[in-house]
Amino acid sequence: MLRRVLGLGAGRVALGVLLTVVLLAIFGPLVAPQDPLATSTDLLAAPSAHHWLGTDYLGRDVLSRLLAGSRLSVLGAVEVVAMALVVGAVPGVLSVYLGRAFEWVTLRLVDTLIALPFLVFAVAVTALLGNGIPQAMFVVGLLVSPLFYRVARAATLAVARSPYVEAAVIAGASVAWIVRKHVWGKVLPPIAVALAQTTGVGFVVVASLTFLGIGVRPPAPTWGGVLAADLGFLSYQPYAPLAPIVLIMATVWACNLLADALRDASGVAGRALVLRRPRFSGGSRVKEA
Amino acid sequence: MSEKVLDVSGLDVHYRRRGGRLHALRSASLSVAAGETVGVIGETGSGKSTLARTVLGLVRPTAGRITIAGQEVTGFSGRQWKALRRQGIVQYVFQDPLRSLDPDLTVASSLVEPLLIQGIRAADARTRALAVLDRVGLDPELLDRLPGELSGGQRQRIVVARALITDPRLVILDEPVSALDSANRVRALEFLRQLRLGGTALVFISHDLGSVAGIADRIAVLYQGEVVEDRPARDVVVNPSHEYSRLLVRSAPTLASAARHRAALNGKAVTTV
Repeated sequence: MLRRVLGLGAGRVALGVLLTVVLLAIFGPLVAPQDPLATSTDLLAAPSAHHWLGTDYLGRDVLSRLLAGSRLSVLGAVEVVAMALVVGAVPGVLSVYLGRAFEWVTLRLVDTLIALPFLVFAVAVTALLGNGIPQAMFVVGLLVSPLFYRVARAATLAVARSPYVEAAVIAGASVAWIVRKHVWGKVLPPIAVALAQTTGVGFVVVASLTFLGIGVRPPAPTWGGVLAADLGFLSYQPYAPLAPIVLIMATVWACNLLADALRDASGVAGRALVLRRPRFSGGSRVKEA
Repeated sequence: MSEKVLDVSGLDVHYRRRGGRLHALRSASLSVAAGETVGVIGETGSGKSTLARTVLGLVRPTAGRITIAGQEVTGFSGRQWKALRRQGIVQYVFQDPLRSLDPDLTVASSLVEPLLIQGIRAADARTRALAVLDRVGLDPELLDRLPGELSGGQRQRIVVARALITDPRLVILDEPVSALDSANRVRALEFLRQLRLGGTALVFISHDLGSVAGIADRIAVLYQGEVVEDRPARDVVVNPSHEYSRLLVRSAPTLASAARHRAALNGKAVTTV
């Protein structure tokens, strides 16, 4: 699969960008040229040899803040995806096999989750569980899990009725055997497509939440937080928001590109998926961010 | 021809449909002796696939009895069915040889699957796969190919080979030749005829009397869920007793009748010109 994705130009570009972002997340805080929290008297300075991307309204180095903030942003997106996989994809496959009661209950739960507004719910839960990125991402993961449930379930249903699965049943195969041998391989490609897409959504959500000041305490640097600070001083530094925007956009774009590449590499299996973007009730506001 | 591999009597199957029930089978009876070849003929919706699926335990009968190799299986639980299936006594060959092979698994993996499910060691299973591949007349080189890389005729043989690998006493074949072109059809029938000599009981399910008449010992005709005829193949073809079987025999296309049709058409063409 990876080889086939790498064979596509789009796949190489996407993986390249994402690898850079991951490296930033791991080493960014270490290579930050200055302390991201240190203030100076150089308020709102233009880019210079000393401050490559200038300083913000408290005189903090923007480059250092962006580098330091990347870890939080990436971790948040990863948490969303892991959560969605465990809560969404696994029950999605099992819903076909664990009997009518399990199927009915999970389907109704999924319907309920779909009905909840995304960002608002995350805000409400952080108010309840305490302000923190892990709490916020837990909620977001929970709310995107219906997509994974649906994708996994649809792919499983398509396979479960196929003659080769019936042939295995006639040979006396157990459910575990059938899932392991026949179902899993067919369900993974469409899930991988959804995964790449959701990672993009995860980045946007982390950025939006931190932009709104939810999930992190103010001095801690994040991409969304840097962007929010820059927007407040647009009249002094109209170019300042560009750096965090480009960072967020490039990452999300790479995720979507990877989703496309995965879809192309896996053939028809995931083709219908790209049309079914995840529901996102706070969509318009997030795009502004 | 003494012992019965399969004995079905008074089988009723209802499907629940919106606003009522659908009778798929009405007190159908059929028995297959060891080594016998039986053709089950019927049109679409006549219940022939339901009959096969009920015998395999995929559909629960409303009434009636099914005995497989002397074992009454009618009231079997899921667990009992699984245990019975793992003995590999009854095998089934699906209608569509492409879709009944997992496209992601090599021929070898598909072939040995029933054996691995039984708990047989992988190395032994591969040896048996080679043996059964030889029996259906295929090159052992095909073992590492994917189903998509094989021709229709080869896939058909692979599917039959998978059914034979457990040394079954009864193989049910659902439209074994209808997905093949005519040259492959002749070859497949020839090959199935040889299989018959191996002593395995065969049940051919088909809508086409012509493809079964030449190979079956006995023919059962299903019409609207009922077995309307169950007699030696020769009798059914030469002297059909039920109205529907008469229609089947009449409608079987032959080259002779095609020649008559052409002659009639030509005659008409001459008169109009």
